[in-house]
Amino acid sequence: MAKDVTLSIDGRTATVPEGATILAAAKSLDIPIPTLCHYEGLDAFGSCFLCVVEVEGRRNPAPACSTAVAEGMVVRTGTENIRATRKLCLELLFSDHLGDCLAPCSMTCPAGTPIQQYLNAIGSGQDDLAIQIVKQALPIPGALGRVCPRPCESQCRRVALEEPLAICWLHRHAADVDAATGTTYVPPVGPDTGKRVAVVGAGPAGISAAYFLRQMGHAVTIFEAQEEPGGMLRWGIPAYRLPREEIRREFQAILDMGVTIRYRQALGTDFHLADLRRQGFDAVFLAVGAPRSSGMRIEGEGLPGVFGGIEFLARASRGEQVPVGRRVVVVGGGNTAIDAVRTARRLGADEVTLLYRRTRAEMPALAIEIREAEREGTRFRFLAAPLAIRQGESGLVLSCQQMQLGEPGPDGRRQPVPIAGETFDLPVDSVIAAIGQRIEGDMLLKEAVELDRRASAIAVNPATMQTASPWLFAGGDVVAKESDKIAVWAVGSGRLAAIAMDQYLRSQPVVGKPRTFQVAMGTTPQEVPAARYEGFTRAPRPQMPELPPDQRVTSFREVELGLTPAMAREEARRCLACGCGAASDCNLRVLAVEYGAQSSRFAGQIRDYTVDLSHPEIFLEPGKCINCGICVRLSQKLVGTELFGFVHRGFKTRVAPYYDQETDGTVTEALLKISVACPTGAIMSREELGKRHCACLSWKSPA
Amino acid sequence: MSTPSPHPWRIAVGLGSCGIAAGATALYERLAARADGAAVRVERTGCAGACHLEPMLELYSPEGQRFTYVELTEDAVDRILAEHVGAGRPVADFLLGGPAHREAADRYLGKQKKIVLEQCGRIDPESLEASLAVGGYTALRKVLGTMSPAAVIDEVTRSGLRGRGGAGFSTGTKWKFAAAAPGPEKYIICNADEGDPGAFMDRSVLESDPHRVLEGMLIGAYAIGASRGYIYIRAEYPLAVKRLHKALADMRAAGLLGSAILGSGFAFEIEIREGAGAFVCGEETALIASIEGQRGMPRMRPPFPANKGLWGKPTNINNVETWANIPWIILQGADAFAALGTEKSKGTKVFALAGKIRRGGLVEVPMGITLREVVEEIGGGSPSGRPVKAVQTGGPSGGCIPAALFDTRIDYDELTRTGAIMGSGGMVVMDDGSCMVDIARYFLTFTARESCGKCTFCRIGTTRMLEILTRITEGKGVEADLPLLAELAEKVRATSLCALGQTAPNPVLTTLRYFRSEYEAHILDRRCPAKVCKPLLTYTIDPEACTGCTVCAKRCPTHAIAGERKQPHVVNQEQCIRCGACVEVCKFDAVLVE
Repeated sequence: MAKDVTLSIDGRTATVPEGATILAAAKSLDIPIPTLCHYEGLDAFGSCFLCVVEVEGRRNPAPACSTAVAEGMVVRTGTENIRATRKLCLELLFSDHLGDCLAPCSMTCPAGTPIQQYLNAIGSGQDDLAIQIVKQALPIPGALGRVCPRPCESQCRRVALEEPLAICWLHRHAADVDAATGTTYVPPVGPDTGKRVAVVGAGPAGISAAYFLRQMGHAVTIFEAQEEPGGMLRWGIPAYRLPREEIRREFQAILDMGVTIRYRQALGTDFHLADLRRQGFDAVFLAVGAPRSSGMRIEGEGLPGVFGGIEFLARASRGEQVPVGRRVVVVGGGNTAIDAVRTARRLGADEVTLLYRRTRAEMPALAIEIREAEREGTRFRFLAAPLAIRQGESGLVLSCQQMQLGEPGPDGRRQPVPIAGETFDLPVDSVIAAIGQRIEGDMLLKEAVELDRRASAIAVNPATMQTASPWLFAGGDVVAKESDKIAVWAVGSGRLAAIAMDQYLRSQPVVGKPRTFQVAMGTTPQEVPAARYEGFTRAPRPQMPELPPDQRVTSFREVELGLTPAMAREEARRCLACGCGAASDCNLRVLAVEYGAQSSRFAGQIRDYTVDLSHPEIFLEPGKCINCGICVRLSQKLVGTELFGFVHRGFKTRVAPYYDQETDGTVTEALLKISVACPTGAIMSREELGKRHCACLSWKSPA
Repeated sequence: MSTPSPHPWRIAVGLGSCGIAAGATALYERLAARADGAAVRVERTGCAGACHLEPMLELYSPEGQRFTYVELTEDAVDRILAEHVGAGRPVADFLLGGPAHREAADRYLGKQKKIVLEQCGRIDPESLEASLAVGGYTALRKVLGTMSPAAVIDEVTRSGLRGRGGAGFSTGTKWKFAAAAPGPEKYIICNADEGDPGAFMDRSVLESDPHRVLEGMLIGAYAIGASRGYIYIRAEYPLAVKRLHKALADMRAAGLLGSAILGSGFAFEIEIREGAGAFVCGEETALIASIEGQRGMPRMRPPFPANKGLWGKPTNINNVETWANIPWIILQGADAFAALGTEKSKGTKVFALAGKIRRGGLVEVPMGITLREVVEEIGGGSPSGRPVKAVQTGGPSGGCIPAALFDTRIDYDELTRTGAIMGSGGMVVMDDGSCMVDIARYFLTFTARESCGKCTFCRIGTTRMLEILTRITEGKGVEADLPLLAELAEKVRATSLCALGQTAPNPVLTTLRYFRSEYEAHILDRRCPAKVCKPLLTYTIDPEACTGCTVCAKRCPTHAIAGERKQPHVVNQEQCIRCGACVEVCKFDAVLVE
């Protein structure tokens, strides 16, 4: 019997057998010491050096995994120096860790949708699972699937091969399949907390907050100014893009989660914030949008026949036959401008012109929308800006300034510059100004809501959506900067606010979402190593089945008809599965958050990207290896020979597989155990990858 | 076993690697061909340490008097045969101590104290007889005949000998641990994996006097109770390997290896293992792994090799120079050894003196001598006469000690206090034409490449440091690089698994400490004060000095120099690749480098 040794760890006393390590002694006291290379049952190895601790009397930190305890030893595990050492250690590991924790599409999505996971579900024929995954982040995927400008797709790595995945159409597909069942899926509501939240505005932000708050068990009452829910989706987007029935279906399903809604209740007119407090609401979420069009600030803007884009679309959405006449000019280059030209066309205008001060390449509207407008007969006048509107003999006359592109501005887009003396006149019946939207600032100020310096948005903490009043949160367009005034951002802000409100209501620190940590192979698809794209077959994006153009301009019927199930499945299988299969349980990632490590503190040479698909059960991605050697040592223990081994020297030292492709069952069994032991995603079981919705659907299997 | 010489005269030509490089082989052959075989015996010997004086030979007169001839030519050897051997008149022009080489004799050799190198350059390294003739294996005889193992360990401990591989651990203590470790089978290892760039102490000793090392190993094996020894030597030392093989064969034939050595009950065998040249295999646990056929990768200590070493058995590892000290200590006694040196550093230390130094070579100095004495007296300062700026001890694991600290004594602890280390014996001298940032980058290039790749800080940290240093020498450094470099250096030093990583930052840490202004000049002024870092240099032509000879324009590989004949020339900075060719060819010193 070994005798016992008593030592002090972080001021507490541990008594362990002689020969035990500091790591084991700390464990006996439940004092956590991080390690990546230590594996229970294997000898100490000492490669990661994360387990360093301070031992009194020693000049340098000691690795706890391999330092034996001694009588009277004094150990400190969390000093500033130790934490700094561990942080640097992690940062060095990340500087040579080539992978993506999350796929760039998910990272880019303002609502943080687990895109790769639902693509995988669709690709593997599990549409019912897909809608559940989608609805973890998107309460209204059917609506968003039709109107979202898809920032995710611009970051899809597939663009380096040919075209991005049809990410947006695929969650629409999941929603369409769900709708076809006759019942719309919503997640279960949480147990009642007794807390009441008022949500002002039933647009995408408000409904999103309500949806997540109900899952947390809070009671929700929505106050909506109009007679129907949907906000901008309902009043700002034409029905040919987003059928009203789709909005009603998805919003009603959320209201059916136990949400009370009161229509025709406009803030500032029908009620005030102070009333809500008096009525006993514990928190309030303001999502009143930006329902006014920005003015063109030119002469003649007040003449009859001049419309704001938002107001014009809202009137048309109510079914009003807005008198736009035959000749319509829409000013602007965004999606609202495109919606306006296509709506004007449907209201009978046969000479519809879009006036934009830059060129087609700079238009913020979705390319597909521009193309559709063109196919429907829209004319484009690029490099032209409105100067003045006056009453002509028959209708209005719009004077325009010819522009040219100058130097790039702060946003990177080239700035339009007037060409002196070059102007022209356009005879028109109506002018629609679709150059931006603004909030009802005066009303909000009267309600004592604090606005930002330019009075263009409510001031909130972007991590929590909380305003200066702790009980008041805000989201959606009323908070968003111009480029964020999109439905998916509103949905994301509603979810974020719900998380923060939940913290507030439970009297926890209001901090928003827990911090996570990401590494990325590159910030653009082009920065990613070319080898990442090897082994994939080029395959085009599907063509969206559409209503023929001749049937469109005469009606507000939906143009995009949705992908067929076969098309959807095939499309989902194009996913490159960028996100790491180990992201949910990667030790490296957890420690990075704990120690506040930065992923890109050290730039320099980095591992090559390779994958090894030679084994039918195992997926190797050595770019993620941290040289902990667990696989080397564990294989020795499991099968008596090394299935992996170290090769090369210096920075280029790597762990390479030693096993043959022809392997027996014992080896496979060992490899599967090793894949579990691997602290990162460098060795994964293919089956496990599949279960985690990251199956490599589009990887070519070895011949 | 004496070596009666039938020849009245004996000539030993230095045929160590340095002598061979200086052309000694041809002179040896010339001597062998021309000498009267009855009167003169021509032998080969190893390096005598005075590499700057090669080729050289030792001439022994029939009376046993020794003459050292240096900087030899064909004419010189002919004259030595004709005048000295033939007529008894020493050839003063080539004689060490003669008018042409008096300073070298006095200053280079005068301050040295030779224990390890006692017979280097004097005896035929391929002859056991030659070794025996000068007292080889007398110490072994004494140990086997008169001393108990414990007494041997006690003697070595009292001598104060510390490991000469660099770490400086007490040799006697290390032996005591191995002797005390339980187990029927024990090993000893001679670490001849000399890997520092520019270091050649071990190679020279093995090439010049292998038996001294082997005798030390036998004594150590007896003291510890080891039955088997290994010499781990890098395959890049073919001459040393060859001479060791010859020495081992001779020893077996003479009963100095095998079951009953010198008729005693002591049995021992030695094997040579050639390493593939990985620097990290000089680390004892990596070295053991390499002998075992594993990847040369250090492991955590404890357990120390003394308890769990080669094949899990108690093992004692010492460096070549450490082993070579043992016979002298046994014969002269611990007290004689301990009389040399400082309080905690005893005996002598061999250094490979190189760099910007007039008299370079292998020197053996008593501990306690100052750096100034080594650099200025023995080495004679820089060849150009420009001020010596620093000395780097310990190779890539060591540090740069500035001239202001040249009164520091050669002593393990004093050197460590400067931020450098004693190391295994590299000593590189730098003058003001050496860029300290570039020096740090150079050494780190080596250690980063030689990292075994196991632990995070060494594998990735050294590479990131190297990237920062490279950036700075390319004129792309930023101010934040210095604190970042310092942070990395400190953490890599404190938190690496083995000595390779723990010492790799030393060149960076010491140059940052003593030559920070040079780093700042690179970063803030985009200037290399030593004019070494090419991307930071500007080449211009002084119109006053330029004669328009057109030589530079013709030589310029990128045609960056233009000008009419007999008119001042001009360098086109856009085209200039800073190769320096114009500086070399200009006869008028008209090319200015800033």
